[in-house]
Amino acid sequence: MTVSALTRPGERDRLIVKLGEIDWIFCLTLCLIAGAGGLMLFSINGSSWMPWAAPQLARFVLFFGLMILLALVDLRVWFALAYPIYGAGFLLLLAVLVVGHHALGAQRWLQAGPIQIQPSEIMKIGVVLALARFYHGASTRTARWSWWLLWPAFLILAPVALVAKQPDLGTALLILMTGGVVMILGGLSWRVITAGVLGVAALVPPVVLFGLHGYQRARLLTFLNPESDLSGSGYHIHQSEIALGSGGLLGKGYGLGSQSQLNFLPEKQTDFIFSALAEEFGFVGCVSIILLYAAVIFMALRTAYLAHSHFGRLAAAGITVTFALYVLINGAMVMGLAPVVGVPMPLLSYGGTVMLTVMVGFGLVLSVRVHRYSEVTSGKGSLM
Amino acid sequence: MAEPSIFFEEVNERQGIFHRRAFVLGGIAGLGLAALSGRLAQLQLIETQRYEKLSASNQFNFKLMPPPRGLIVDRDGVVLASNRPNFRLMVARDKGSDVPGTLKTLAEFVPLDDKRQARLIKDIANAPKRAPVEVMEDMTWEQFSAINLRGPELPGVSADMGEVRVYPHGGAFAHVIGYVAKVNKDDITPDGPNSDPIMLNPGFRIGKQGVEKAFDLDLRGKPGAQKVEVDANGREVRQDPAGDVPAVPGKEIRLTLDADIQLRAEQVFGEESGAAVMMDCRNGDILCMFSGPSFDANRFVRGLTGAEYKALAEYERKPLFNKALTATYPPGSTFKTMVALAALENGYDPKTQHVCNKTWFWGGRLWHCDEAHGVQDLHTAIATSCDIYFYQCALSVGPDKIARVAKAFGLGTLFDIGIPGQKAGLVPDTAYKRRTFPKDPVWHAGETPSMGIGQGYTHLNPLQLCVQAARLGNGRKALHPRLVRSIGGVEQKSGAAWGDLPFDPKNIDFVRNGMAAVTGAAGEHIAHATGMGAASDLGLGPIKMAGKTGTAQAQGYSGGTGAHGAVGDWKKRDHAWFICFAPYDEPRYAMSVLVEHGGFGATAAAPKAREIMRVALLKDPELRAKIEKPLPLPAAPTGPESGDIVPDLPPTPVDPNSQPGLPQGTPTA
Repeated sequence: MTVSALTRPGERDRLIVKLGEIDWIFCLTLCLIAGAGGLMLFSINGSSWMPWAAPQLARFVLFFGLMILLALVDLRVWFALAYPIYGAGFLLLLAVLVVGHHALGAQRWLQAGPIQIQPSEIMKIGVVLALARFYHGASTRTARWSWWLLWPAFLILAPVALVAKQPDLGTALLILMTGGVVMILGGLSWRVITAGVLGVAALVPPVVLFGLHGYQRARLLTFLNPESDLSGSGYHIHQSEIALGSGGLLGKGYGLGSQSQLNFLPEKQTDFIFSALAEEFGFVGCVSIILLYAAVIFMALRTAYLAHSHFGRLAAAGITVTFALYVLINGAMVMGLAPVVGVPMPLLSYGGTVMLTVMVGFGLVLSVRVHRYSEVTSGKGSLM
Repeated sequence: MAEPSIFFEEVNERQGIFHRRAFVLGGIAGLGLAALSGRLAQLQLIETQRYEKLSASNQFNFKLMPPPRGLIVDRDGVVLASNRPNFRLMVARDKGSDVPGTLKTLAEFVPLDDKRQARLIKDIANAPKRAPVEVMEDMTWEQFSAINLRGPELPGVSADMGEVRVYPHGGAFAHVIGYVAKVNKDDITPDGPNSDPIMLNPGFRIGKQGVEKAFDLDLRGKPGAQKVEVDANGREVRQDPAGDVPAVPGKEIRLTLDADIQLRAEQVFGEESGAAVMMDCRNGDILCMFSGPSFDANRFVRGLTGAEYKALAEYERKPLFNKALTATYPPGSTFKTMVALAALENGYDPKTQHVCNKTWFWGGRLWHCDEAHGVQDLHTAIATSCDIYFYQCALSVGPDKIARVAKAFGLGTLFDIGIPGQKAGLVPDTAYKRRTFPKDPVWHAGETPSMGIGQGYTHLNPLQLCVQAARLGNGRKALHPRLVRSIGGVEQKSGAAWGDLPFDPKNIDFVRNGMAAVTGAAGEHIAHATGMGAASDLGLGPIKMAGKTGTAQAQGYSGGTGAHGAVGDWKKRDHAWFICFAPYDEPRYAMSVLVEHGGFGATAAAPKAREIMRVALLKDPELRAKIEKPLPLPAAPTGPESGDIVPDLPPTPVDPNSQPGLPQGTPTA
């Protein structure tokens, strides 16, 4: 197929062409990470496929198919659905507050028959879509600093407040940071950015002192002084550091990590799976996984770079930011550089919710790539 | 944009802003990932050794293995305290375990009544998680294997084979050896040897009395450790025998005691209250230290019930006291040996005569004697134990000189024999009177006659009287008693490694001859001698014993009044003493026997001494050779010379053939 052929009207809408436009190296990288996750889940439960490894891999296969399907969805459809998805997510968040399912002192789920819905996950994508939708139609001047920015600020803060209320501080911060980065990418004035950063910095101490739940504050204080409480809150981080450190250069060997096999490592299948991997595969294994994550982030960012539409750019970049934040926060947490906030390592950790979010998000990223030359009209976008 | 736009420039502008900022964003993400890698390098490359250690200390635990407790043996190696296997049943609580249900199931296999179950549930709830609590000891093999079979279905239940202390001779050695018992909360100290975590091991026992207590740390040994891999909940996952640290068994303690002699003492005493101590006159080794009545130390190992303890503690014959060390009584006439020696040492003429008419008026009052002994000199007065002679003898010497001699013979002295619980007693002198009675600090002349017959302030324990007898028997050396011969093979200081007695050997010999006259050992017959001929005749041919009786009043000072001898209320009867050594002419073994409220020394104490002494003499190969010397052939075979048996003596055989604990049978004809 020649380049000229692709310029023919309608040619790019052909399924086979679309499939060809999918970044298959990107997909392969995702498979490698998820494969490593499955491998670790098999190992840490005493070389058993159940109950973690097999369902996790099966889910990945399912969600991988979903991602490819979403990649084929025309970007204009994503554009049109941006606000409805956001709106639906917002309503569900409200519903959670009213009839949500209690778990571990927090209200995060909606139970619909056999399906658990966690609206905060929908909002991770919803906020990105809505912001991209807004900035697509906003002028540079508007995006820099204007009253119109109250709208994206509302789009971000309203769900953040609801999620924080659940309470799910990790997800709330994730949405807040993603939204903030999208606003910056949209063209927010540097002066405002500086002021915002300073403002947030000033806000941290009072929030920590008065605005947090007891366990949240304990986690934070433990992070600041982990040796103070090795049997309580500091235990998780301490055991994680032991798992990491004792892995050494090449690790203890597959299936031989004493910290994870003997359950010293808490939450080994979810939040701390990276530590389990580090223990068994050492520095070499860890750096390999980090390189895979770096590859995913840069390929996704490159997709945003290549997109012709502003909506596509910001949507792809927003999803990338979410993913990168997951990786960085979880990595920092298991290595004792950040407080324990309950953010999993995407694709590696056991659990369907985050994997679904990430794969749907990457479906959007791939859709941006497949449809990077699409013209997305907004009717009034350029007039603002 | 579908339509040409006049804001085209601006669209390009926001694309440019995005590209620039996205580039910065990529850089920040790259920096973040690089920072993570840096942290990984720090943890996994630089500090890895530290974390490897932490990981290993997580993974492996060391389970304490109690060491086998050291044996206690007698001088010939006969075991006095050892260990026997003990099948124990233990229950620990753990996450999700149902302790009451478990105990109910266990009750199908071993006797566990509801009351015991309720107590165990409380104990287990109070114990740390996964710390096994002993439910039962001494299970039979059938119970042990039945529970081991069911083990996997019963979480938290474990059955193992431990060791428990056993005293094969029951009560005979209970006071000397003491016993071990379960560790009390008060036994655990924050530091020192009793802070050892092995103290918390279920079934671990420590010495609570006697040798077991005094040498507890030697006997205890060092606990070993079993290396086990554990998970985060502390459950044992795997054993690692290569990493085990073997336990160091406790040291063997060899006592100077002789099991045969001691067991004979136990038999001879029966339910009677008192003590018998025997020493080797040549080296000070304590061959026998018995206190009666005794108790079964094995009961203490298991743990006494409240009722059992109460019965022992409240019995008027005080079985829990080691009377050989703690019972201090006036020595009675045995003290006359000291008065005589003090007199001789101070130039008293042994030919000095006094007449005994049963009473003697002096100092405004009447002094009594048992009978009218007639004309007595020092030698006959020892043999007849004439009080009236010794009143006057003591007066001519004075209390301080008597006290000096008595103390030189170990009376009123505490000896370091290794075990605690001695009472020093008292040998009074004028300084004592000054010190103790500020209102009446003067030694009155009237107090001296009482001292002369071993009454008054004087009170002494059986060990001291045995040392006295041993020093008299030795005649030269100031022997010290020795109870512990070796610890872990290391020989302890000999009782002979001390100085000489600061007295003229001739004077000591005079006193010894007096003691021989008491028993008629040398064949002389003194009128009114204490009537000891039969009671102290060993029936061992040429081997004879010399000794001195003593009858100490349990109450009152006036001699010869009130209940005298073995009549009346037990608690008011006199205490009977006998000190002796044998053979009289070449002493090897010395003894003191105290029979509390036994009556006369001659009838209550001396026969016991004779029976116990016979075992020692017959065990001595050289003496046995003398006893068994074949008789000239044509003469008709006769048994060993045995004296007449006084009918009111305990029915103990005097024929050596029937002695228990003897290695060989009949003497060859």
